[in-house]
Amino acid sequence: MDIDTDARMMVSRWIVETTRAPGIAQVAARTGHGADGVRESYRRLQDKRLLVVESDGETIRMAPPFSAVPTQHRVHVGPREYFANCAWDALGIPAALGRKATVHSRCEQSFAPLTIEVDESGPASVPCVIHFAVPAAQWWEDIVFT
Amino acid sequence: MLFFRSEELVKEWCRERGLPQRPLVTLDQLWQLARAWYKDRLTPEARRPMGNEMREIFTRIGLEGPFWDPGTRAG
Repeated sequence: MDIDTDARMMVSRWIVETTRAPGIAQVAARTGHGADGVRESYRRLQDKRLLVVESDGETIRMAPPFSAVPTQHRVHVGPREYFANCAWDALGIPAALGRKATVHSRCEQSFAPLTIEVDESGPASVPCVIHFAVPAAQWWEDIVFT
Repeated sequence: MLFFRSEELVKEWCRERGLPQRPLVTLDQLWQLARAWYKDRLTPEARRPMGNEMREIFTRIGLEGPFWDPGTRAG
């Protein structure tokens, strides 16, 4: 595998197993690439929109559908609790893992809790709608807001 | 992309922030988007859909109009 695939797969596996993002030293050690090489790889992966890193170039903020920071979208898969970046990614986690999950989120206006059971066939029916505040062409102009 | 209990609550949320109300997506449509974007994301071959693929996905699940046009930069 090339360094970008190595780094991305290592980050993904780490998050799946631990629910948290690895540090750059851990990625460098596990992949056998130096920290500088991993930083360059992160830049390319961000350009491909497969990873979002903080301004330091090495702290992972998002490895979509996973969020490396706590959010209001919590996804329980077996004994593990993951954070998702948005409503889309909250369903993206069970889609990526191919596993049943329970999404715990909220209505953003009323703050009423929202629980969605998801299995292989999709989410159970829950009265809710999803609002996309940003047009598709602008999603990555400010991906954190999106 | 945020969850709301009803369209009325979306309107309130937008009004309080001075934001325009945008198209709403159903839970079933969101699941189709999640599958299209992420079902292969943990594989070595993973990539995001390109612009033309995005347009096809949006059209297939009933998300049409300029809001859903990803533009020239693939999504």
